[in-house]
Amino acid sequence: MLKVEGIRKTYQDVVAVDNLTFNVADGEIFGLLGENGAGKTTTFRMIMGLLEADKGSILLDNKKIDYSVTDKIGFVTEERSLLTKLTVKEQILYYGALKGMNERDILKKLDYWLDRFEIKEYENKKIKELSKGNQQKIQFISAIINNPKLLILDEPFTGLDPINVKMLKDAVYDLKKKGTSIIFSSHQMEYIEEFCEKLVILVKGKSILEGYLEDIKNSYGIKKILLNVLDYDIEKLSKIKGVNSINKKNDYYEVNIDNESAIDLIFKEIKKYKVLKFDAVKKTLSDIFIEKVGGYHE
Amino acid sequence: MNSKLSFLTKTSLLKRIKSKWFIGVNILLLVIIVGIINIDSIISYFGGDFSDKLEIVVIDKTNSVYDIFKNNINNSKNIIGNDTSIDIKKTTKSEKSLEKNLKDKVLIIFTSSDTEYLKAKVISKEKIDTIKYQLITSSLSTTKYNYGLINSNINIEELNKISSEIKIDRVVLNKDKPSSDDNMNTIMGSVFPTIILPFFMLVIFLVQMIGSEIYEEKSSRSMEIIISNVSPKTHFISKIISSNLFAIIQGLLLIGYGALGLLLKNSIDTSKTSEITSMISSIWTTLSNNGFIDKLYYIIPLTLILLLLSFFAYSLVAGILASMTVNMEDYQQIQTPIMLVSVLAYYLAIMASVFNGAIFIKVLSYVPFISCLLSPALLVIGQVNIIDVVISIAILIVFNIFIFKHGINIYKEGILNYSNEKVWTKFKKIIRNKN
Repeated sequence: MLKVEGIRKTYQDVVAVDNLTFNVADGEIFGLLGENGAGKTTTFRMIMGLLEADKGSILLDNKKIDYSVTDKIGFVTEERSLLTKLTVKEQILYYGALKGMNERDILKKLDYWLDRFEIKEYENKKIKELSKGNQQKIQFISAIINNPKLLILDEPFTGLDPINVKMLKDAVYDLKKKGTSIIFSSHQMEYIEEFCEKLVILVKGKSILEGYLEDIKNSYGIKKILLNVLDYDIEKLSKIKGVNSINKKNDYYEVNIDNESAIDLIFKEIKKYKVLKFDAVKKTLSDIFIEKVGGYHE
Repeated sequence: MNSKLSFLTKTSLLKRIKSKWFIGVNILLLVIIVGIINIDSIISYFGGDFSDKLEIVVIDKTNSVYDIFKNNINNSKNIIGNDTSIDIKKTTKSEKSLEKNLKDKVLIIFTSSDTEYLKAKVISKEKIDTIKYQLITSSLSTTKYNYGLINSNINIEELNKISSEIKIDRVVLNKDKPSSDDNMNTIMGSVFPTIILPFFMLVIFLVQMIGSEIYEEKSSRSMEIIISNVSPKTHFISKIISSNLFAIIQGLLLIGYGALGLLLKNSIDTSKTSEITSMISSIWTTLSNNGFIDKLYYIIPLTLILLLLSFFAYSLVAGILASMTVNMEDYQQIQTPIMLVSVLAYYLAIMASVFNGAIFIKVLSYVPFISCLLSPALLVIGQVNIIDVVISIAILIVFNIFIFKHGINIYKEGILNYSNEKVWTKFKKIIRNKN
């Protein structure tokens, strides 16, 4: 389990991370969100032991993170961190040895992952000769070759097509099942919604929103109703209190509401007609992110 | 942690040694060194001719000096070197007929003189080479001397006493002051630059290796992964050790290439063996006469210690500066001052004898980076003594400890600093923050 308790980091007069606290349980996927420069990289670097926090503590399985613990951590950086002149095998052997693994174990695991990611034929190719997607797979393998206790994924799906994204997602779920704590960061909110049980949103190094994703979404409530009602003048709904606007889509209408009490009123109004579609849609994480982070720019 | 240090060191060293760059450069160095040592054989193989010939035709109107002259010129042959053969002939042909078909030959006409005993006329188509002309004039003077003795009533023994060299009993009262002489200065001017050139090259290799490795790891962002598994200190030490081992291996290879070149020279042309032996013997005699050989037992170890410590100093500074580079331009920028200092050290060392023991040059011989070349050079020519070199070594040790202690903090910050500020600005900021 990872425990981050009240960490703070400053660079000269700039506060990069301020009093940040969160926990990631074993087998849990945790989302760390924020705009560029919000303090995500600094947080990752502190977790990895690359930077020392000015205040607060970071514990992995109740042990302070130092070089005796970092062997249990895997890190996929946002930008590719591969020595491109090396072959795939040399690269993984290099990073694996740095994690304290012996050559036999590294090669055994490499064999498994190359097979699983369907890139076995590239084992002896130089990394610079691989496509961006395959380079990303190698980077992922290099981060998980040691079966990490904690895995940090910073934009892990960059440059991958949907098929390869699925391959990596499955691998992440497998690691989760095995008890790996995973911290996930991405600007693509659909990945966060799909993956993370818990999250924190950072703005200028401070946490402005944190908790379980489901709780957060519930607290923001329903945002719109998707409707398709036969023989009904949909414009009548605009008179109902709480209805903001109505937009025509292909085969349904999108009714935006600002009050959940409007849902019952709308339902009462249309139930006499033939209702083909009635979907009450919660706010997406993207909506919440824009609403929360956008507010700090105003 | 020690196993990770040895792993990083081994990986870094093997990566460099197995690189195409290293193999290519060494093949080139092997060819160049062996080629330079055997340049005469190569030129001869492609039809060039190193053997030289001096053809002299003599018209002896005195009928008595030809044999004397022939004998004198053969005795003085060493002036122009053993590669030149002398072909001397007496002729009865007329001066005019010979002039028409002279080609490369030199015509010498001896005539007797009432006032000067002997006169000579030297005729050639082109201007005679200075050294050959020196041989001819020297032989002509000796011939005139011999001819004059024969044809005059001067007592030969008395004349020999008068003309013999004066015997000098040389005494230098100040025994403490180191001595140097012209022969040593000549050796310093020709042999020493050749000996220290490899060191200069090795410094360049060293700076390039450590700089390019750190730059590559940083620019590829793999530094973050590496540093999350080993401390920056371990990483830095591994780079220092591997780059210094690399420089030592490269140095040994250069010595090997030199030895191979000499072996090849001897096997190709055994007649050259005596020439090389005689050249080495001549240098050895000069060094021995100056008491240099007796000093070798401390000059060699002191020089090696200075060189090794300087390798460390160069690699420490290059590594620290390279940690702050984020692009190729930065990387080039950091190399320039280091290279300039090593060039300065090289030129000061080869010009050491010019400064005649000035305080300024003595002070410079204590300065790290410069001391490695200048201090041994001044010691060899006797302008500094063993204590001065020991001081240089002590300063270098203190310098290395100081740089490592403070530099490791800069390195730790630098390797994770990706800002696009100028290297020196970043450098100043990090130092300011640390303070």
